[in-house]
Amino acid sequence: MGHMVSTELPPLARAQSVLELADFDEVVRLYRPRIFRFLMASISDRDVAETLTQDCFLKAYNARHQFRGESSLNTWLTRIALNLVRDHLRSRRMRFWQKTRETALDIVDVGEWIPDGASTPEDVCLQQERVREIWQAVEKLSRQQRTVFLLRFVEEMELSEIAESTGMNTSTVKSHLYRALRIVRERASGKSEGEQQ
Amino acid sequence: MTTHANQFRDTLPPDEVMLEPAGQFGADLRNLRSAVHRAADRQTTEPVPFGWLNAAKRRRHAAQRLMVLAWTCAALLCIGALPFLHHAKPVVSRSSDTVARQVVTETDDTALLEQVDTAVSESVPSSLAPLDALDTLNSPSPTSTQPTLHAPEKKNVAQ
Repeated sequence: MGHMVSTELPPLARAQSVLELADFDEVVRLYRPRIFRFLMASISDRDVAETLTQDCFLKAYNARHQFRGESSLNTWLTRIALNLVRDHLRSRRMRFWQKTRETALDIVDVGEWIPDGASTPEDVCLQQERVREIWQAVEKLSRQQRTVFLLRFVEEMELSEIAESTGMNTSTVKSHLYRALRIVRERASGKSEGEQQ
Repeated sequence: MTTHANQFRDTLPPDEVMLEPAGQFGADLRNLRSAVHRAADRQTTEPVPFGWLNAAKRRRHAAQRLMVLAWTCAALLCIGALPFLHHAKPVVSRSSDTVARQVVTETDDTALLEQVDTAVSESVPSSLAPLDALDTLNSPSPTSTQPTLHAPEKKNVAQ
């Protein structure tokens, strides 16, 4: 990675930047899994998530001199990723005739993910089924609700960090989170009850 | 609307309840987190390959080139359409010219006719009186029953 950045990207012009060239390798190494995970969960497509992760870090690299350290690096990168997601969803709406989600993510590829605390095969199946229902409910949330939900319950970010990343007030974030939780709970439980009957 | 939103916010549960739901739902959310992390880790555990950002750079350059191409095409189309716009304008002016010319011609005709009327209504000089009498005889009059010089004689027609 160190060779990749130092040989492929142009040299730093400003000596007094917050992110030094050598540090950017470390930034990519540390934050790439997190950004990829968030993008994959937001778009539900592995290939697109990988593409947008690359775009995210390229944008971050090009705009690194604008980063003044007022927010954490994670928040800043998440904000860039959020903008990319918004742009991608907008362009996907415009190109509705194209076949999308060829590499769509089924979050619970049965057999690939096994819950940690499951003791019996029945428990495994039950928990996988519950996770699948919650995931389907999350996919149907509005974009803002889904973003807030994922940042909180997948990325475990604090409300203030979510507010900073999304540019919303903390109270707005709370409202979205509350609504998202209620919808997911209702949909997931409603589906479970329906299947039991 | 704002009051309604404020009322909604007042009814929100405390942060602890909202941020970490308890019970079965809380456990399901933790399982979801675990599943997403596992799904993402499968792809990101490998080290970042050499030239990882090159693909993004290429896409960016391609998008820029595409944008330049699109603007160039748009500009060429505009330039190509200019002659047609130029041609379209004279047609409009020509039609307006024709109308103007017609108006002028009509005005000229009216003036000429008025001039002729004036000339005709003038009194005939005494030297031309016999000709005037002859013209009166020749001109067909709907009320007059006398035969004119140019009218064929009924007698001859009958014969």
